Order: sequence, then C-alpha cells, then structure tokens
Amino acid sequence: MCDTLERLMNCIESGKINKLSPFPASLKGQDGADELCKLALDEGINPQVILNQALIPGMSKIGEKFSQGKAFVPEMLISAKAMTAAMKHLKPFFATGEIKRNGVFVIGTVMGDLHDIGKNIVSMTIEGAGWEVIDLGVDVKPEKFMEVIDKYPDCVVGLSALLTTTMANMEVVVKEIKSKYADKVILVGSAPLSQDFCKKIGASFYSPDPQGAVEYLKKVAA
Amino acid sequence: MGYTEESLPAMINEEIDEVFESGNDLWNIAGGYSITESINLDKSNFSILLDNVEFDIHNVIFQQIRKSNIIAIFACTAGKRITDKSKEFMKDGDLLKGYVYDLFGSIVVESAMDLIQNSLQKEMAALGLKITNRFSPGYCGWEVAEQKKLFSLLPEHFCGIELTDSCLMQPTKSVSGIIGIGESVKYNGCTCNICDASNCLYKNLKYQ
Repeated sequence: MCDTLERLMNCIESGKINKLSPFPASLKGQDGADELCKLALDEGINPQVILNQALIPGMSKIGEKFSQGKAFVPEMLISAKAMTAAMKHLKPFFATGEIKRNGVFVIGTVMGDLHDIGKNIVSMTIEGAGWEVIDLGVDVKPEKFMEVIDKYPDCVVGLSALLTTTMANMEVVVKEIKSKYADKVILVGSAPLSQDFCKKIGASFYSPDPQGAVEYLKKVAA
Repeated sequence: MGYTEESLPAMINEEIDEVFESGNDLWNIAGGYSITESINLDKSNFSILLDNVEFDIHNVIFQQIRKSNIIAIFACTAGKRITDKSKEFMKDGDLLKGYVYDLFGSIVVESAMDLIQNSLQKEMAALGLKITNRFSPGYCGWEVAEQKKLFSLLPEHFCGIELTDSCLMQPTKSVSGIIGIGESVKYNGCTCNICDASNCLYKNLKYQ
C-alpha cells in the first residue's frame, strides 16, 4: 500500500479528522483524513482503491477494537467523523458510478423508541464498510420501512430498539417486511437483545456490536 | 464511557470538561417521591401490591425490598434542554459532543436523584428507619411496561414527566422507580452481582 493510503487509513482508525484537529496528540499539526483523501485523489489513486484500501480498513480496525473492548464509543464517533471528512471527497465518484457500493443498508429505530446513539454508530460503521446507508431515524413505523424497501428492494434492513417494550415492535416490522419480501435480510441489534430473540422474531442476524454486523454483511455481499 | 481514569484520552477529557462547563445552563431538574404504607408482598410470584396496584418486580428486586414496611415511589428529571442540545450536535455532525451531552444528561439526573435519595435516607433515619437502593422498571428483570402503573401512583404530570405509549419517559433524561424503607432493610453498594440479567448494558461494561 502507498504511503498516502496508509496514512489515510491510520487517520480514520485514530480519528484524525483534519490538520487542525488536535487528536491524536501524536499526529498534531499533520494532515488528517480530509487532506489525505484529497491528496490521494490528486496523486491519481483510483477512488475505489481509496475506499477499499484506506477508508474501509480504517473503520474496520477501530470497529474490531470496539468489539474487543479496546476502544469505546467516543473513539468510534471520532473515527466516523474522520471517515465522513474523507468521504466528502469521494461523494462525486459515487454519483458517477466510479465507486461501487456493496449495497444499500436501510436502518431505523423501531416505532415507539427514540434512542439513536447506538443506531448512529452502526450506521456510520456500515457506511465505513462501503455500504450506502439510508437512515430513517427514530420512531420509524413499519409502513415507512416498507416504503423505502419498495424503493430499494435489494437492500438489507437493520432494526434498532433499546427498550424491552419496543423490542416487541421489531417483530411487527419483521413480519410486515417478510410478508412481502420473504427472503429479506434483516439485522437486529441493541443492548437488551439476544440471538434467541432474533430467532424468535424471524430476523436474519443479531450482533451485539457494529463490527459483527459488518462481518455478516460481508458474507451477504459476497 | 468504559474508560479507566488513566486510559481516558486527553481529547475526550477536554470535551467532557467543555460540556460540563457549558451544560450548567441546561439543567431543569425536578424530582420527588411519594410514600405509601399500603404494601403487600407476595413471594410466590415475586410481586408487590402498592396502593392496590400490582407490580411484577421479579426475584432480584423482591429480595432487596421484601423487608420493607414503607415504599417511596420516585421520579426525577434533568429537563428537556440537555437532550435537545445533544440531538442538535448529533444532527450537525459533532457526534462526540452530542454523545457527551447525552451522557451529561444521564449524570445530571442520576446525581439529582442521589440527592433526593440522600434526603429520604436522612428523613427516615430520624425515624429509626433505613432505606434500600433504588430500583427502576427496565432493570433487574422489572419490565419497562410497568412504568405506566408506577406513574399512576404519582400525581398527574409529576415533575413534568410524561410517558410515551412504549413507556419511554419524556424528557428522556428522567428516572423513576421505588425505594424500600424499613427497620430491617439494607442498602447495598452495587447490585450487579445479584442481578441475573445477562445482557444489561451496565453489567457488560462493568465486567468487560
């Protein structure tokens, strides 16, 4: 891997957003994800290569640390911000089709639940894994999920709920989706969930952390 | 957040300091409790009847409060503005600050509730009584859905807290629950070791 891509990957992993950002201290005053992504494009590196060899591995590394308890939510959020700073330079290439996404991932917190931090982290991690993420927000009714799935019939769906009372609403959404799209891949996640619950409601996969979802999606996209 | 004091990154520490300094204007704390002596405990199904309202509190909480003669039903809120501020930052892409404000709201409401609990403890100590830990729907096997019954025992619109259909308190940074009171009850520091929840967020963090 070339030096620019390696530095860019490290900036994503460590959350170095741009030259002005003071974190991490070891990179103070140096270019961040923002400048390095632009530099990589200026050096003529293919945008798809930038995504595949720097952004995705950078997010993957911090995601793995998070799964292992070696990094925490703040580091995930800073890395996601660094990724967003780099991604803005790649946006035009998504529009022209020069960069191919792995697929579309539709995510939302189910109806009755207003919690969004966990969902946001999953959204950003999956976007960082090369997926187009359509975030429907919180308190999302089944009909809203259906409306978007109808628009993106090949999408993968992610459902979030933090309350034990709203976990039950996941089942309602899964049933509604499966009634029209029987083979739809549906991921569920959140603190009170379990694999047993996932199985019981007919969802495809449960992950206790965002990286687990990313690993599963790799298999789906393969 | 999950860090030890030594492992907390400097930048995150700075964010916390900044939020704690600027967040002081965002509190709108209100809280209190209602006392009832109308208690009936049923160990056959680990339920408790308070003012003729039955709660299925499960084994863990039941064991902690079973020697109570009085129950305090409490609620407390940090107000809406902290959550609004958190969402504002999240929406603008400053995810870390939004997250820290969210945590700040939790700390404010829990700290406020600590003060209320301390006040209750002193009040009861003057009467020769002790208090238990506080227990809330959503923890230790007590279903969040029982929150509606809990609020039925408090005055309407108590402290400005309302419940959504899914029993989520609004403002979000609010707490509610019960505290046992009696001559033979005891206060335990942390009850995670006696709770059988396998996927509780706080338990997982503690034992990571």
